[in-house]
Amino acid sequence: MYQLLLTKRYLSSKIMPLLAALAVALCTAMVIIVWSVMGGFLVMLINSGRTLVGDVSISWPVTGFAHYEDLIKRLEADPEIAGATPMIETYGLIGLPDGRTETVQVRGIDGPSFAKVTEWNDILYWRPKDAPDPKDTGSSDMRLRRKEVWQQIYEGGKKLTRLERSKAHPEGIDRPGVVPGISVSGFNFREKWGFFPGTPYIRTREGDKTPAEMLMLPVDGYVTLNVLPMDSKGRAIEMVARKFPVANEFHSGLYEIDHRTVFVQLGALQDMLKMNRAQRVKEGTGGVVRKGDREEFAAPVVIGEEPARVTNILVRGKRDTFDPKDADKLAERCRQIYGAFAEAHPNEVPDLLSIRIQTWADLNQTMISAVKKETALVLFIFSFVSLTAVFLVLAIFWAMVSEKTRDIGILRAVGASRSGVAGLWLLYGAAIGITGSALGFALAYLIVSNINGIHEWLGERLGLYIWDPRIYYFSRIPSDLQASNVAIVLAGGVVASCLGALIPAARAARMHPVRALRFE
Amino acid sequence: MTTLAPKPAPSPTTSAQKAGAVLRAVNVRKTYQLGRTSVPVLRGVDFQVRHGEFVAILGASGSGKSTLLHLLGGLDSVDRSDDQPPTSILFEDIDLARISAGRLDNYRRRRVGFVFQFYHLLPELNILQNVVIAAMTAMGSFEYWRTKSAIRDRAAELLERVGLKERLSHKPAELSGGERQRVAIARALINQPDLLLADEPTGNLDRATGGSILDLFSDLHRRGQTMVVVTHDEHTAARADRVVRLVDGKVQG
Ligand SMILES: Nc1ncnc2c1ncn2[C@@H]1O[C@H](COP(=O)(O)OP(=O)(O)O)[C@@H](O)[C@H]1O
Ligand SMILES: [Mg+2]
Repeated sequence: MYQLLLTKRYLSSKIMPLLAALAVALCTAMVIIVWSVMGGFLVMLINSGRTLVGDVSISWPVTGFAHYEDLIKRLEADPEIAGATPMIETYGLIGLPDGRTETVQVRGIDGPSFAKVTEWNDILYWRPKDAPDPKDTGSSDMRLRRKEVWQQIYEGGKKLTRLERSKAHPEGIDRPGVVPGISVSGFNFREKWGFFPGTPYIRTREGDKTPAEMLMLPVDGYVTLNVLPMDSKGRAIEMVARKFPVANEFHSGLYEIDHRTVFVQLGALQDMLKMNRAQRVKEGTGGVVRKGDREEFAAPVVIGEEPARVTNILVRGKRDTFDPKDADKLAERCRQIYGAFAEAHPNEVPDLLSIRIQTWADLNQTMISAVKKETALVLFIFSFVSLTAVFLVLAIFWAMVSEKTRDIGILRAVGASRSGVAGLWLLYGAAIGITGSALGFALAYLIVSNINGIHEWLGERLGLYIWDPRIYYFSRIPSDLQASNVAIVLAGGVVASCLGALIPAARAARMHPVRALRFE
Repeated sequence: MTTLAPKPAPSPTTSAQKAGAVLRAVNVRKTYQLGRTSVPVLRGVDFQVRHGEFVAILGASGSGKSTLLHLLGGLDSVDRSDDQPPTSILFEDIDLARISAGRLDNYRRRRVGFVFQFYHLLPELNILQNVVIAAMTAMGSFEYWRTKSAIRDRAAELLERVGLKERLSHKPAELSGGERQRVAIARALINQPDLLLADEPTGNLDRATGGSILDLFSDLHRRGQTMVVVTHDEHTAARADRVVRLVDGKVQG
């Protein structure tokens, strides 16, 4: 009982132990922040990994495979599967209005069914917005105004088309378009707090930053897409170029993807890549033939039909697959369905052994496991560094026990036992630990919940950018403050303080009462 | 069965009380080891304190008075050797050298109260807390919570008795030497000890202040408190029922 009283008094009257508490606070805050940011990074990676690939991908790259409509039908008949969508994945070049050309990853998709498997509709950037971003105090976001224009662009983005009026079609027709990532064009000027207000400009080549000419890509911009078709044996044919209206732009938050990916309407890409439905003709037939003195066009001899092809089928399960084990189960189902599908189309589609069936976790595996390992390593290092707090508490308590030698003698003289005296110092250690941990938690909470603001501030004032989106994939610093992790760290802080107090407590207990009383 | 735990209200008659002796020092020896040389401080001290008696132990500085008092209060232990005649301190016939550490703690908590020359108050606590804390060591937390207000009342009452009614929330540093010694006396009395042990309680005070402290002791003695006061001062010793003179590590005469 007297231990509690003295602990309370010592806590409010001594400076040194508060320094120990501060050390504990800094250490716990550090570990909590690291754990939260790394954990948030992982969660964001996992979720972003799933944003654009669904749960399971069935793929046969480059040449693609046929009869995919049948496979989709079979997949969607399964009670565990919510939807399946075809996709073509290839590489290409994009020619931008300012004359630049960039290499991009090109994905041909069917908007409506793609939206059932992925978060497609959510990542389309240009759409009407009701309230400004909290940081957008001047309401500079163009999406807040002229809602009907943005609504039309949004609808176009869903289908990857743009409504275009002409003299021939005054009411407008939907033309197939592309949806590039928000950072592909380089025209979208970004506010430092993370959104694109929609005042794009064309960068001049000399690096002059003044806007030369306003251009809103999804309103009236065009880009040229260049892709390289292959025949069914994987040989390159000739580069194909086509001009597309920009239907919309997307913002997934994953920098690599927003910077390097262009979505295009599936049918259009199939056309360009010669993966559309085609007639197979006899070699040497068709074309211009000489008939007497006249040249005539002759139809080729049709000997069969080549069905349309895609490189991927993306599948979404009905159940959430945040846990990779659930994704594996879904992949196994897809494998069975594909087996039946392959049997139904012998020699026309890749067999079950060759086809690639991967979960979102497989697709992002290197990245995810790297981050997991990094998290564990960083946590280990920081926890190890935090052990310094133990030694700090030890040193400070050692000094305090020396300073309080006389008090220890007095307590023994009025009847305190050895264990009672040891208990006093351990309780004191625990109190320092609890104070420090609570302080550390408060600090960590403040920092974690304002981490992006703090980062911006550091960047603005000191030019210190720790988080470069080019390296970390995400444009914002993620965080995930898990109660269980926090509890572990706080308990660790208390245990560490008690550990530091242990040796000084033992020393206090072993003191001879008379020697302690006579201590000057 | 002999126990040093809860104090029986009117003690059952023991052989010691029949003889009238609460405390007996029998051939007490204490030697300090200074490196290789051993310094015998007490060389066989014999005396006893009867119930209700006020005994003064008078000796020159360095004669071992404090050493003896610490032994009587169970803060230190007598020499242990087989080739010497037995040496022991008996409290109500119980040899302090033969009881466990826990019972010795209990002995200090409930049977004796210490008053030191340099007051020895805890500087972080106010004077009420300084008195209460001695009661706290004697009980578990549950017992303390149950009797908390009674203990505080008793501590306040004791402090009032020593004339510090208005100063309960002051820190020791805000008090004069005499006032601090009064707090120390109140602390020594909080557990109603059988035996009050004082080590030069006026040694650090001027004559007038010391005199009033001695009046307090005399008053306590009149009320029946058994006490041993150690001093090098004849005037102080003159207040006692009996004076034991410590010379060359032995009781003289
Ligand atoms: N821990 C110790 N080690 C060695 N000598 C000691 C120790 N404590 C006391 N002494 C010596 O024992 C003698 C008696 O000391 P003390 O009991 O304090 O005397 P008094 O209280 O009568 O002045 C002194 O000479 C002192 O130096
Ligand atoms: Mg002395």
